[in-house]
Amino acid sequence: MNASSATLTDTAIHAGKTGTWWFLASEIPVFGGLIASYIVVRLGSTGWAEAASHLNFNLGLINTFLLLTSSMTIVMAHAATEENDYRKVANFLGLTVLLGLGFLGMKAIEYTTEISNGFLPSSGIFWSFYYGMTGLHALHVLAGIIVNLVLWIQALKGSLARNGHRVELAGLYWHLVDIIWIFLFPLLYLA
Amino acid sequence: MSNAHSRHYLMIWYWLMALVIVSVLAAFFLPKFQALVLIFAVAIIKALLVARNYMHLKNERAIIYAMALVPLAFILVLLFALFPDFVYHLTRP
Repeated sequence: MNASSATLTDTAIHAGKTGTWWFLASEIPVFGGLIASYIVVRLGSTGWAEAASHLNFNLGLINTFLLLTSSMTIVMAHAATEENDYRKVANFLGLTVLLGLGFLGMKAIEYTTEISNGFLPSSGIFWSFYYGMTGLHALHVLAGIIVNLVLWIQALKGSLARNGHRVELAGLYWHLVDIIWIFLFPLLYLA
Repeated sequence: MSNAHSRHYLMIWYWLMALVIVSVLAAFFLPKFQALVLIFAVAIIKALLVARNYMHLKNERAIIYAMALVPLAFILVLLFALFPDFVYHLTRP
């Protein structure tokens, strides 16, 4: 009976993970298509480096550090679920949420500065790509923050222990968001 | 067991931070073309570090690899299919 329950649970966990990977796989063409279009249009045009020079490199760099660090904190939360230490899980999830909010805060400052300097999505093809790609990415960050926030509340209440594998699934999504930024940062701020 | 995992995750984070610094230094100090090659090579390494270690791809089943790689392959096909267009525009007299 116990063995059968354990098998069922394992099956459910595998199904959850496979489902999450299916979802992540569907995200790859969305951002991949945008990035491929950006590369092709940029290579075929001139004047983009001048437009890109108006971006705030320092804020982009800070955001890179924030997002990479948040990937580490969420995988630490996953490691803590394996120890059944749900206080530690809550701490790491809380940190992940704060780092995600920090990312969005920096992005908000960047957008505000750029818009007040007259750089709108309609200001040119570079700006259309910039706002389109970073805006869609920021929405993904926001969705990840909401999921992590729910898990954090569950960890604090003690109800997450029954569904600890959800931290890993949320982490998979969060890491994908991080990987997308790993490519957006050099494309927009360094290239 | 989990302490070893935590140390490993922390080590990966150190590498990621170091690689960000490498990209930034490359952007400032290398000639444009060499800088671009290094920056995007570093970005691919960082993505692989995250995928293999934080997403545990190195311990995953083949079907999970397939799910991640097939859409990536489609993106590369799209990218290379579009290349002749911009090469045509760049080389047009």
